[in-house]
Parts: sequence; C-alpha cells; structure tokens
Amino acid sequence: MSEAELRAAISSHRWLQSLRLGADLLTPGVKPEPEIAAEEAALLDPLNLAGAHLLEVGAANGAFSFAALRRGAARVLATDHLAWTLPGSDALSATQWAAHALDAGLETAALDPRELMADFGSFHVVLATACFERMFNPIQALRGMRSVTQRILLLETMQDGLSDARPVMMAQCQHLPIGGPDGTWVAGWAPNPPLITHLLHELGFDRILYRNHPLHGPARGLYAALLPEAPEGLLVGFGAPWISLTHP
Amino acid sequence: MTLHTPRLSDEDLLARMQSFHWWHSIALRPGVTTFGGKSELILAQEEEALLAPFNLTGRSVIDIGAWNGHFSFAAKRRGAGRVVATDSYIWNHPVWRGREAFDLARHELGLDIEALVVDPPQITGALGRFDVVLFLGVFYHLYDPLEVMARLCGITRQMLLIETHQDLTATAAPGMVFYPGDTLNQDATNWWGPNPALMLHLLLQLGFTRIFYRDHPTLGRTRGIYAAFMPETQTDLVHGFDANWLDLDVPGAIEGLLAA
Repeated sequence: MSEAELRAAISSHRWLQSLRLGADLLTPGVKPEPEIAAEEAALLDPLNLAGAHLLEVGAANGAFSFAALRRGAARVLATDHLAWTLPGSDALSATQWAAHALDAGLETAALDPRELMADFGSFHVVLATACFERMFNPIQALRGMRSVTQRILLLETMQDGLSDARPVMMAQCQHLPIGGPDGTWVAGWAPNPPLITHLLHELGFDRILYRNHPLHGPARGLYAALLPEAPEGLLVGFGAPWISLTHP
Repeated sequence: MTLHTPRLSDEDLLARMQSFHWWHSIALRPGVTTFGGKSELILAQEEEALLAPFNLTGRSVIDIGAWNGHFSFAAKRRGAGRVVATDSYIWNHPVWRGREAFDLARHELGLDIEALVVDPPQITGALGRFDVVLFLGVFYHLYDPLEVMARLCGITRQMLLIETHQDLTATAAPGMVFYPGDTLNQDATNWWGPNPALMLHLLLQLGFTRIFYRDHPTLGRTRGIYAAFMPETQTDLVHGFDANWLDLDVPGAIEGLLAA
C-alpha cells in the first residue's frame, strides 16, 4: 500500500487512539501518542511478556495490544464492547485495518467483559485501560476479567473520591467519538484506591500494587493485581513508583 | 375442592409466632401482633410514605425482598390486583426462617398473595412485568446492585419504588460508598451506600424518565425513598406525590436537596 493510500485509509476512520503506523504516519486519535507511550511504559515495562498470552479489555484501537505483541507476547486478543458494537462505530474495523497495516498477528473479538467466564480460556495477563470510566457495571466486569486471569490483572482508570479514606466510587459521563456522527455520552465510574483494593481482594487477588498515572498523577490510577498462583518473580519489575496496597 | 387449614387457637398462634424471628410487626388478629424488630408505628409511617401517594387499585405489584411480607400485605389491602411477594436470603435463612413466618402471616390475614423464592441477581423477564415494583431495604445489601437495578428495569411496567440506606448525602456529585466486612452497622450483609445524585444518575441511565425523592419519614436522609417512572406510566400514578417529595429529575434539584 502506498503512503497516499495509507493516508487515505487512515482518514476514512475515526480514531480513539493515536497509533504510529510509520515514521510519518500517525492516526489522529483522541488519545495522544505521548500519553499512550507513557501508559505503555508504566504498565508493561515491569513485565516480561515474552511468550505470554494477553487479553485486552476495552482495547479501543488496540494500542496496548500492539505494544504487547511488539514486546514478545505469543498471543494477544484485543476486545472491546461499546466502541466496537455501537451502531455507526467503526473502531473495530479501524483496529483490524491497523493490525493489517502493522502486519501484527492480533486477534480481535467484540465482547462484553461482564460475560467473560472461565470457559472462555485463561490468559497470563489481562489488561484494561480507561477501565471503570466506560463501564456501567465495573463490579461485574471485574468478576469477568478475574475469571480469565491466570496470573496478573493490569488496570488503568480515572479516579475520584480521593479525599475519602473509605472505599468509594463516583459516577461520571464522558463524550466519545463513537457511535453516530455526533459521538456518544458514555456513563461509567471513577473509583478511589481503597475501593479498587477491596474489589480486587474480594475476587481473590492477594497482592495489589498501585502507582499514580505517569502524566495525570492521582487523577488516574494504575493497578497490578496478582493471583496467589502468580510466581513471586512477577513482582521484581514493580519497583518505585509502584507501591503495594496489600503488603505495605 | 379447597382444603382449609384449621384455624389456630390464639395460644397456638402465639406459640407458632414465637418460634420465628420477625422483622415486621404485623397484627394478625386483634391483640395478636408479631414481635418484629421494626415496630407497627414505624411500618405504618413507612407504608404511608411509600404507598399513600398513588392508587393501587387493580394494579400488579411485586415485592422484591418481602421479608415477613408487610408491604405485600399493605399493597393488597390497598386494592392491588396481583401481588407477588419474593425473597431469597431471609426466606432460605435457617435462623430467620422468613418464608415460614411469611406463610403464617399470609394465612392468618387471608390475603391472596403469591410467594416466590427469587434471588435479586437472578431476576429475569420471565417473572413478567408489574405496574409497581417494590425494592425496599435491599439495594445496600447487594454486592452488585448495578446488575440488579438493570434487571428491575426489565420487570417494571410503570413505577419502581426504592427505599435504601444512604451515604455521601452532603455531596452533589453522584457516588456510593462500599462497606467491606461488617463496617456498616456490624452487618456483613451491608455493601453499598449511594447518595441521591447517584440514584438519580442510575435511574436515568436505566431509562426511567421521572424520579421523585423524599427522605425517610422517621430516619431522615440517612435513608432515602425514590419513586421512578417509566415513560409509559399512567398519569394518575404520578399526581399524588405531594410536597413531601422532590422532583429529582429537574436541573438544580440535587443542589436544592442539599440546601434543604
């Protein structure tokens, strides 16, 4: 495909994420490339993904799934629900086109994380960015993600209620360029770290690590939750600024 | 042919009553009232707040979390057509034995009320749709109230009545507090405390178009009562909600509530 054809194809889609497809080719996504790069480094640098199976929930245009493949993951399944199923949304076809343009062996599936169950399979790593803020029911979505997690669940989410020491989550809405031509208001939640800690602990994660977002500070939080069967060695990469919420 | 259970003597009825733990104080006969944790007076005040604003005559009602059945009985006495009382936790509980207590009260009162064991997370459209859905004292006992609220929407033809514990009531932003373990009232079955803004947000998200609110008649804002209406609600159901109720779905209502 010529560069002109690539540019034409890029401009024919609406992009949620800025994906670098070539030295001078960047998809015009709502989420800028530096923010994606910072989140990728914060979430994935602590892990050795070589040979890993990774499931991404809420993949949007698959930026983190492509990153996992670049980092050596053996199997990456990118999924989304709202952005890939709303009438008029082309985020799935944009992602599949990007995978083709990058020659990336990315699997895709439109699915609701609330419907995930153990018989879906298991993944060494399950990853969800912009997690709570785009889910009507994050409680059930977390349960679904837990059911397919073999070792570690990585979460990135908007936060609120930070001045309250108790576990809380605040409802919020945001406008996304998905669905019809005018976009869609998406309702979701912004939890605080005590709430995420309790919800993950209730689901059986026994080691929960936290760090502020690399660019947005505590307004957004990053979490790494390990199951008891995850090897201790997984923790080695999670140095400062990560802190343990379960083993202070 | 109908088989009638013989009428118990007052002494036998008292003995049977005393074999159960009661939450609702229900007058079964003149001078014979169950020994509920919630008094007749408080129940009467709650019933007046919840059921007096509208006409139940001929309307179908389902009571989710009926406990000993006071509000199911009240709905029937107020003229409701089909009334279905449901519960799971209390009715299956080996200590509370709520279903046996409900059955005793229903029999004594002679009310034509259906009883179904239904766990709220298992509610489906197979239950049918009801003009009025009662969801009293249940929201905060659910680990996942969001899922159940969505399911309630599917069985509500006209109005959903909610009574719940509340928290963050001085906050205009919609939110809810999680109570791990037994941190709320030393009761490990308490999970969430929403605020009015959150209940408004959830109900609007689920497709209810008008939402009225009032504080609990005796406990104030620590507990809230919500009447949420579907778009196809008959207008006479809405008209009786008086000055005790606040129209929550208008701009500035939450701020007004906080200032009150």
